[in-house]
Amino acid sequence: MVHPIIMPKLGQMTEESTIVRWLKREGDPVGKGDILFEIETDKAVMEVESFFDGTLLKIVVPENQTVPVMTTVAFVGNPGEPIPTVAPLPSAPSRPSDTPLPPRPAPQVSPPVSRTVAPAAVPPPAVAKTETQVSSAPAPAKPGRLRISPRARRLAVEKGIHLTGVQGTGPGGRIIERDVRTYLSERGYDRLRVTPAARALATAENLDLLEIRSLTGDDRIDVEDVRLALAERPRPLDRMRQVIAERLTRSFTTTPHFFVTVSADVTELSELRQRLKQHGQSYTLSDFIVKACALALCEFPEVNSTTDGKNVQWHSRIHIGLAVSLDRGLVVPVIRDAQDLSLPDIHQMATELIEKARSGRLTPDEMTGSTFTISNMGMLDVENFTAIINPGESAILAVSSARPTPVVKDGEIAVRAMMKMTLSSDHRLIDGAMAARFVNAIKTRLEDITLWNHLI
Amino acid sequence: MESFDLVVVGAGPGGYPAAIRAAQLGASVALVEQEELGGTCLNWGCIPTKTLIASSNFYFEMKNAAELGLRSDGVSFDYGELVARKDQVVKKLRAGVSQLLKANGVAVLKGTASFRSRQLLTVRENASEKLVEARKVILATGSVSARPDFLPVHPRVVDSKGFLNLTSLPSSAIVLGGGIIGCEFACMLAQFGVQTTLVELLPDIIATLDDDVRRELRRQMEKRLGIRIITGVSLEDIRADDSEVHARIGEEAIRADLLLAALGRRPATKGLALENAGLYPADGGFLKVDDFGRTRAASIFAVGDLTGSMQLAHLATSQGIVAAENACGQHLRRNEKTVPACIFTSPEIGVVGLSEKEAAQQGIEVRIGKFPFSVLGKALASGHATGFVKWIADPGTGQLLGAQAIGPHATELIAEAAVLVRGEATARDLAQTIHAHPTLSEAWMEAAHVLTGEPIHSAPPSRKTIRERV
Repeated sequence: MVHPIIMPKLGQMTEESTIVRWLKREGDPVGKGDILFEIETDKAVMEVESFFDGTLLKIVVPENQTVPVMTTVAFVGNPGEPIPTVAPLPSAPSRPSDTPLPPRPAPQVSPPVSRTVAPAAVPPPAVAKTETQVSSAPAPAKPGRLRISPRARRLAVEKGIHLTGVQGTGPGGRIIERDVRTYLSERGYDRLRVTPAARALATAENLDLLEIRSLTGDDRIDVEDVRLALAERPRPLDRMRQVIAERLTRSFTTTPHFFVTVSADVTELSELRQRLKQHGQSYTLSDFIVKACALALCEFPEVNSTTDGKNVQWHSRIHIGLAVSLDRGLVVPVIRDAQDLSLPDIHQMATELIEKARSGRLTPDEMTGSTFTISNMGMLDVENFTAIINPGESAILAVSSARPTPVVKDGEIAVRAMMKMTLSSDHRLIDGAMAARFVNAIKTRLEDITLWNHLI
Repeated sequence: MESFDLVVVGAGPGGYPAAIRAAQLGASVALVEQEELGGTCLNWGCIPTKTLIASSNFYFEMKNAAELGLRSDGVSFDYGELVARKDQVVKKLRAGVSQLLKANGVAVLKGTASFRSRQLLTVRENASEKLVEARKVILATGSVSARPDFLPVHPRVVDSKGFLNLTSLPSSAIVLGGGIIGCEFACMLAQFGVQTTLVELLPDIIATLDDDVRRELRRQMEKRLGIRIITGVSLEDIRADDSEVHARIGEEAIRADLLLAALGRRPATKGLALENAGLYPADGGFLKVDDFGRTRAASIFAVGDLTGSMQLAHLATSQGIVAAENACGQHLRRNEKTVPACIFTSPEIGVVGLSEKEAAQQGIEVRIGKFPFSVLGKALASGHATGFVKWIADPGTGQLLGAQAIGPHATELIAEAAVLVRGEATARDLAQTIHAHPTLSEAWMEAAHVLTGEPIHSAPPSRKTIRERV
């Protein structure tokens, strides 16, 4: 029997996904549990495994194609079995009747996927592929848009140049061979000296020879010059970067940010951590900060809210996002219901989530729904910084490194471990005074050793 | 006190061309040399050894002329006359250098230079000493044979320079060190009929060569020249007395009339008093330079063996010329991407550019195109049908990245490869270049045909591969 393989819906918010890599080829035997392909959603990259034994008969959706969830992407069955015809891509959502199998919209019907595991950072092959996509993007001619004669096109290809700057003088502005020749002479093409291998490489990579400069000083374009041009060629951001770019731009341009900084004295807290460690209880400074924020947010529900500029929604529960940096981006796993969690609970959850984030095993649902975010750069030796509010939230706390600092304590100069924290808040909702009170509420708690002794 | 725009220390293949170029650019130049004009290359290296090797090649071919249908019974030689010819060649070239220096107005100062400060040098010869002021300095002092402590000091234990001063050949010799110099000497000795043993501590001779080239060389040295090659072991208990040199290899005791040590060369900085110029050599005594040939002192340049680059005369010359131009106010970057290297063993070897071994080490994917001399008309006709040429090419563009040749006239043949590699030619360019027939150079074109998948004179790739390429 032929089984369709369907693009799974991996998160409640996921509407479409891209296959970044097929791990099996057509004709490969497939076992239950084998990883078939990797997909990239707007949150992460994950592996999708087969629910069937058999042979991969046909790949319907190639690599780098984005399709709606629940689309049939391949068929697994026995060799020789007839494969149902599938509507040409991309069509799955608009013409479901063409698909032999009725798409099953109901999420309770489990797609052939059991688990999702994979690096959240996009694997290199995906980038390599997208690069080739771009290389064809500024290609000389886009059918239908650029009107050009076949002879002119052949000449441009032969000379290794792009046609974007060529003025067409044929009927209706069509580019004819003479236009290309004029362009070549205007641009001084004949004076160009290119080594044979450099020309071959530039042609293979679809670079415009007229745009490559000789940097080695001998006035001749060599392979190194082409390599430099290749390295400089614009390429698309990977999906994670694009998501980060879109979200940060939206937040920073639509939310009026207001910043307020305090210094927390964490000397005693650090000593407490050391004492606890000696007793076999390890906590990170982050654990205390999460707890302190949860406590402060209970006191200031205005900060635990969302606004669209017209309405405000106070969240009754506190979900704290923790920004975790990865090699090639950033993810924000969420500690849910932080208001109900004890310090040991927070420690355990944070440890698990961070570990999952680093190994790329976070599920989309573990990365959504935060109501307040903490960005801790303490381990990166920074004096102070400001963070950009996560869209949908109204504040974010930027935590800097605790460092020995001379301060005045009880009228004396003392060296204390001081940690700067800067709150970015949505100034539409949160006035300066409230931001100041809120961030000081966090600070006061971090400095209150009696509180922590009580909580542990 | 005499004052010069530039003082060049060392009149070898790095130093004297630097002096000439600087003089051509209008600088007042002094060239300091403590031994002979022309340095190691002209006096105790390239030139004298190649003179003797030429004689040994010819002698060996004459003795084996029966292969070409000739009878040459009773061929013999007088080593004294060979040495005299060698000295004649050296003398003639040395006189040429001297004339060139004179014609270009370079002041030659005989003696040992040492820094007093960055701009002041003393030149000492015997008891006399004079002080010279130098606005710029190029150090081109070269290298000397390494002579480790385990080697006894005895007339029967010589290095390459010591060997060239001999007036007669030993009847047997141990060559210690299977690098380029050791292999060249071993081949020469064996061709003269000296019973030769080559001992190398490393697993094989000339470790830098690609495996296929090295295998071919070793096979020829052992089978054709009858050299005993022992690798991967150390020569121990070396002792020399009036009658012979003996030593131990593992359990085996070996003896010979002479031991020739070819254990690499060390940079020659003795007596320079570099510290007075604020220069401190790196590990191994080498003086590091930047892409423009400058040392850490802006007014002091260094070139050649002294800098730890490949120990090749022609590389030193290229560096010397760049350093001279930069010392005269220009800003030229050294271009050393393609440095051909020739090994005058029997058979000869020529290499240039990227090797297969380097490609593997650097993770560069390459395509190999090889053509053997055994099926090349000219090679067969001239009775030298062993060895091969090999291209290392980029699989995508077909760019010729490097080449290796082993066989007849390989040291001459490599020149064509060097031009193609430097010019970034592709396999297709070469495959479409008409080569004269019958010549040895056709081998390059045939090997390029192998790369493009269209060989005329060797077995084609399987039909399937051809289809795939199409």
